[in-house]
Amino acid sequence: MTCHQVQVSLSLYLYGELDFAQEEALERHVAGCALCQRFLAREKAWHTSANSGVSDVPIDLLMQCRQELRATITQGGAKRKTNHLSWVTWAEPFGMTAGRWSVRLALASFLVFIGFTSARWFGRNGFMGSIDGGKTNNMSLLNPSSAHIRDIRPGNNHQVRILVQQVNEREVTGTPEDDSIRRLLLAAMQDTDDPGLRVDSVEVLQGQGGTDVRDALIRTVRRDPNAAVRLKALEALRQFSSDTATRDALKFVLQHDENADVRSEAIDILAPLNQKLDITPDLAATLQEIMRSEPESDYVRARCLQVLHDVNAPLNVY
Amino acid sequence: MRRASQRTDEKELIRAAQRGDPDAFEQLVRSYDQNVLRMAFNLLHSEEDARDIYQEVFLRVFRNLPRFRFECSFSTWLYRIVANLCLDQIRKRKVRKESSPAVETPSGEVDRLQFIPERRADVDPQRQLMSTEVKIRINEVLDELTPRERIVFQMRHFQGMRLRAIGEALGVTEEAAKNCLFRATQKMRAALGDFV
Repeated sequence: MTCHQVQVSLSLYLYGELDFAQEEALERHVAGCALCQRFLAREKAWHTSANSGVSDVPIDLLMQCRQELRATITQGGAKRKTNHLSWVTWAEPFGMTAGRWSVRLALASFLVFIGFTSARWFGRNGFMGSIDGGKTNNMSLLNPSSAHIRDIRPGNNHQVRILVQQVNEREVTGTPEDDSIRRLLLAAMQDTDDPGLRVDSVEVLQGQGGTDVRDALIRTVRRDPNAAVRLKALEALRQFSSDTATRDALKFVLQHDENADVRSEAIDILAPLNQKLDITPDLAATLQEIMRSEPESDYVRARCLQVLHDVNAPLNVY
Repeated sequence: MRRASQRTDEKELIRAAQRGDPDAFEQLVRSYDQNVLRMAFNLLHSEEDARDIYQEVFLRVFRNLPRFRFECSFSTWLYRIVANLCLDQIRKRKVRKESSPAVETPSGEVDRLQFIPERRADVDPQRQLMSTEVKIRINEVLDELTPRERIVFQMRHFQGMRLRAIGEALGVTEEAAKNCLFRATQKMRAALGDFV
């Protein structure tokens, strides 16, 4: 590969879009070419800069969109179901037409009555058409999306035995101090699918004491993939800022978190502005390290400098 | 192994949603909606437009899901809808000349990105200034890209999608998507050179 070929391929290389042979050739060339090493460093730098142009979606906006969609679909879905049933088609032979509201009302009441009566009947007597005397009644409770099939065993007489694990929804109310509510909130904080849920749980647990809450918050600031959730958890961790475990987590965030806002929040909690600071040699060493390695946040660097200056620590090696 | 089981789960979810199960549809939406909203928001820089795109995308998915026949992956199908809607919106803006990053205010022209609230903006004016400058520059160069270059760059750089998937979503070959990305990165490199 020539220098020119390498330089035009650097972006694709960083995106991992070169094939194996091209990647190998590029790496071999860069290892022995100082000019291309400089180009690669520059390429990496603008890639990082470009990342600052991406805006995190406000969580409120996501929640709002979900609510609007649910509302629209509920309305639209109801309409579609009505069309699908097209009750008018089969009601017409009985002399009922859609034009008269009184007929509609009468028909609707009749359908409600039928539905209510049959639900009660099935509840007592089992599902109609059950071939095994009601043993498959529970099928009416199954929701395919939340049911997880664990085992299938064919039996005699066309019978199949299916072991199903299903999550059933229910509403639980209580205060955050209640043990069961607290456990649910702590579990929701680790919900991998929904950052909105995680933020809500952190918000509700904010101000609650206890090592379980602290440890869950620490896990969140260390591992949560969403920067907004990490920020929220950091806010909630403020009350535990004197604990060693919390301070370790804050140091970790300062050194490793990819989001500059999160790192700024961490330094503000570790070394609050205008407060007497209790800086351990270990923390001073971390701050010195950050002074050297902080990639983009001038704020974090400036605060580290200020803290080290306030405690008369040297700026290089402690 | 995990990816394969995720694919199976997703298939089950799609089938359940096709049968009219609202919970399955909601789960399906939740698997993708953050990415869809982020992509629309970052491409259009407007909460209102991003919200419209979100609604339109998932309503189209809802309406057309019964006809989805697994001929391509669900994500490809979904991102095809997202890409088409975003491309339309970008093109409409170009026609309406709304694409300029600047907006008129009583105190003169101000970049529209400055109206996007920045978290902890009060903390460090210098950091905010630098970050705003980079954002302005990125926005300027994104605006100079063709709609297709812009969407390819967004999908690859910010969404982390593979070029093959991008090509499928846009209905072009992987090679064409690669060329688009190449042109976009050249322009971005030139524009961000001063900041690195």
